[in-house]
Amino acid sequence: MSTRRSPMAEPTTATVTFREAIRQAMSEEMERDDRVFLMGEEVGQYQGAYKVSEGMLERFGERRVVDTPIAEGGFAGLCLGAAMVGLRPICEFMTWNFSLVAFDTLINNAAKLRYMSGGQFTLPVVFRGPGGAAHMLGAQHSHALDGVYAHFPGLLVVVPSTPRDAKGLLKTAIRDDNPVVFIESEMMYGAKGDVPQSGELIPLGVADIKRPGTDCTIVAWGRMVGISLEAARTLEGEGISIEIVDPRTLRPFDAEAVLASVRKTNRCVVVHEGWDVASFGAWVADLVHREAFDYIDAPVERVCNADVPMPYAANLEKAAQPDAERVVAAVKRVCYK
Amino acid sequence: MAVVVEMPKLTDTMEEGVVVRWTKKVGEKVEPGDVLAEIETDKATMEYEAVDRGVLLKTLVTEGSGVAPGTPIAIIGAAGEDVSAMPIGGSSAPGAPAAVVRVVVTPPAAITPGRVAASPIARRMAGEAGLAIANVTGTGPGGRVIKRDIERHAPAPLLQAATATSSEDIVEPLSQMRKAIARRMAEAKPGVPHFYLRREIDAEPLYVLRQQVNLDYAGAKVSYNDFVVRAVALALRSVPAMNATFGGDRIVRYGRVDVGVAVALPEGLVTPVVRAADGKALLALARETRELAERARAKKLRPEEMQGSTFTVSNLGMFGIDDFAAIINPPEAGILAVGAVTQKAVVRNDVVVPGRTLTLTLSCDHRAVDGAIGAAFLAAVADLLEHPTRLVI
Repeated sequence: MSTRRSPMAEPTTATVTFREAIRQAMSEEMERDDRVFLMGEEVGQYQGAYKVSEGMLERFGERRVVDTPIAEGGFAGLCLGAAMVGLRPICEFMTWNFSLVAFDTLINNAAKLRYMSGGQFTLPVVFRGPGGAAHMLGAQHSHALDGVYAHFPGLLVVVPSTPRDAKGLLKTAIRDDNPVVFIESEMMYGAKGDVPQSGELIPLGVADIKRPGTDCTIVAWGRMVGISLEAARTLEGEGISIEIVDPRTLRPFDAEAVLASVRKTNRCVVVHEGWDVASFGAWVADLVHREAFDYIDAPVERVCNADVPMPYAANLEKAAQPDAERVVAAVKRVCYK
Repeated sequence: MAVVVEMPKLTDTMEEGVVVRWTKKVGEKVEPGDVLAEIETDKATMEYEAVDRGVLLKTLVTEGSGVAPGTPIAIIGAAGEDVSAMPIGGSSAPGAPAAVVRVVVTPPAAITPGRVAASPIARRMAGEAGLAIANVTGTGPGGRVIKRDIERHAPAPLLQAATATSSEDIVEPLSQMRKAIARRMAEAKPGVPHFYLRREIDAEPLYVLRQQVNLDYAGAKVSYNDFVVRAVALALRSVPAMNATFGGDRIVRYGRVDVGVAVALPEGLVTPVVRAADGKALLALARETRELAERARAKKLRPEEMQGSTFTVSNLGMFGIDDFAAIINPPEAGILAVGAVTQKAVVRNDVVVPGRTLTLTLSCDHRAVDGAIGAAFLAAVADLLEHPTRLVI
């Protein structure tokens, strides 16, 4: 067992990686409720493409940890159908890029069936896997689709930024009766953090202040929280105090937490993966402009991907994505520094 | 062939210039002498004139942004000229397919005259503080009035009530001027070994004469400080060792007497210079000083009008200060701090009588001058001020 327990920490807390936190959430929920099962490519025999489900086949058996063919359109639909008739599937996409093969299932079926059946069906299914750019995976395998899925009413969208949030939110997502899009990051699977071992549930739709501050609010989720924290440390040295609001879930969205922060700081920068045009970050900026209009001292800035398909070359791939330096520059602009 | 326009170095101490406003739009024709932009330095906001003829093809710095001198800020060339290969230090984007959505953002146009641009919170705070936003000088892009501008104008208690964060510290960003003051003063105080000489003078004759001058010359409005500046200028001639600067391996005694006069502004202070002050009659000197101070408050002084003083006078008398010690304005050898003319009991002919006094404090750079020189200079100033007809005849 690779789980390491810090001697200083409380006995109910362990320092674990992001991937272990997700595995703990799935395993605990599968222990708790035998309707929960995991299905996806390489989740069983191969122990998970990114080793998230390592050991789970041995522990829960082939009936509940199910390897699939490379056919997202099929197994995503199968999971949805299983949810309609009472099971609680966890559908793993090797990456969210491949969910596009199952886009019709997610958008036309998962997002609509509760509504169109007048509530006759519950759809307790979680679609999960890594999203966003990783390292030199090329334009087709680097999509950040959080904003795309958040576009559609009927789906809940969760984008955790820490191992603790990942575990607590995934457990809640598995118990929720709505279809949940749960987007992780390959770049963060090895990141470690303290995670309660007490079965903590984190509610969907409640933001977390990742760093309190007074001069400028940064709204960031998922992998962008770490980048924003790095920028905040740089800015602290220059006398600019940053408050980082991590919504944790895009749907439902904790608008009040964002607005309360902006009303305090009067300035806002939204940092997100994905592109500028028609993005979730654009909606957040719009929300702030409308609902905190009398409190803002500068137009909301956004830091996001360059408006190009993700380049393959490492230097260009880096240049096309938000980094701490660009976040620092955007914060200075809204602070008129 | 297109040319790159760089941020000019408008003053010796300028480390950064802020493009307050582009007065030419991209695509507009530019003639030599046309004002291209307004640039804020550590001293003033100045109009920057183009030297090249052509079309403004591109601006590289957004309004409100500051860059170091020498940084490219714009490109001027022939209409339609391709400037993508210009050496401007920007990052090159990878080749984008034709289908990529292009959002064309036109540079912000100059604000319509008569309309005051203000950020929403600035507008709200001004309303709550009962402040007319049109009376506030905006320091944001294009002169936009932003939160910090209101904070500078409105009384603090009103603002604290308005923002409901009264227990929190207010962090105010440094203006270019405040940065320059901080840098120069920090340079002067540990760097220049100061010593101080203080002298209280009998200001009764000065009080009487000033009243008489202002009665006889309607509208002259000669201040005590004008008398002091005139006295200082004449004393620097009679004690030339005080009109000097320490230069490492030598001391330079100035041939000219150019007196800097510190002027307080809401965001700091500047010291416009009265040139050849020793050769100017009192009324002319008073008029020139007042005109410089007014333009200083309007931030309309040119950098050369604030540079090259050989000695400085700082007066806090109008604020009710009896006496104080000033920090030398490097590289000068001295600064005279002037207090208020106050009525008090003085001893005259062994009898205590009501009188008026004025306290002068001279700060000296001990590397350039010694106590005796400073004392001689201060005695000369005091003698002139105690016999002020010598300043007008």
